[in-house]
Amino acid sequence: MLIRIIADLLLLIGAVFALAGTIGILKMPDTFSRMQASTCVSTLAILCVGLGALLYAIFTMHSASAAVKIAVIVLMIFVTNPVGSHAIAKGAYRAGFRPEKRMEVDEFRRDFDE
Amino acid sequence: MQKAKFPAIAATFVLCFGFWILLDFSFKPQELIAGAVVSLLVALFSARFFIHEKAGWFCNPLRLFSAIFYWCGTFIAELVKANVDMAKRCFGGCRNINPGIVKIPVDLKSDYGQAALANSITMTPGTITLDIAEDKDGKTWYYIHWIDVVTAEPEKAGEIIKGRLERGIRRFWE
Repeated sequence: MLIRIIADLLLLIGAVFALAGTIGILKMPDTFSRMQASTCVSTLAILCVGLGALLYAIFTMHSASAAVKIAVIVLMIFVTNPVGSHAIAKGAYRAGFRPEKRMEVDEFRRDFDE
Repeated sequence: MQKAKFPAIAATFVLCFGFWILLDFSFKPQELIAGAVVSLLVALFSARFFIHEKAGWFCNPLRLFSAIFYWCGTFIAELVKANVDMAKRCFGGCRNINPGIVKIPVDLKSDYGQAALANSITMTPGTITLDIAEDKDGKTWYYIHWIDVVTAEPEKAGEIIKGRLERGIRRFWE
C-alpha cells in the first residue's frame, strides 16, 4: 500500500513538471527559450513517471518484463533526447531564427559571422 | 573509416545480446540462439561506428563505479535542481528570463567525454549546447544557449554551467 502511494506521488510530480514545461512552451518569447522549457518535460517528468510506473509494475503487477521495458524506454529517451535537441537548436540558428528580445550576449554570432 | 577490431565487435555483441535478453525475457534455447545470431550480425556491421577507442575501458571497476555514481548521483542532482528552477520560471509567467549564447572552455580530450558533457549540458533545462568548436591552439569551446545569463565571462560561466558535471566525467573519460 505504501509503495502504491509512493508510485502515485511520483506520477503526480511528473505531471506537475510536464505542466510547467507545457506552460513554458506556450508562453516563452522565442524558439530557443521554448526549447529550454520543453527540456523540462523530457527529463524530470519522464524520469518521475518512469520511476512511478516501474514501482507499479514491480509491486502491483509483479511483472519483471514490463519493468525492464519501462526502464529501457526511459533510458532510450535519455540517450536520444539531447542529440535531437541540439541538432534542432543549431539548425534553427543556422536557418536564421533569432530571438525576438535582444540577447544578453551572443558569442555564436560574433565568432561565426554570416 | 577504420576496420572494426575484435574487442570492439565482442563488446558490441555483449551489449546487443544483453538487450535481447532484457527485452525478450525468456530463456528457451531456440530464442537464445536466434538472439545470438542477430546480435552477432548487428555487431559485425555496427561495431566500427559504435566503439572507436579501447573496448575494455569500463572493465576497470574504479571507472565503472565512478561512471555509475556520475549518472545516478551527480547528474540526477543537477537535473532536479535545474528542473525546479525552470519550473519556477515557467509558473512565474516566463517574464524573468535573461537569455543569451555564451562560450565556455572545456578541458576534456576524448570524443566520448566531450559528447557526454555536451549531452549532459543539453539535458539540464536552462542550457542547450549549440556547437562544439576547436580554436587554433587546440582548445575546445562549447557554445551554449543559457536562459539566465549571470556572467558572460567564459571561465566563470563555465564553472556555473558545467563545473560539477565536468569534474564527474573526468573521473572516467578524460
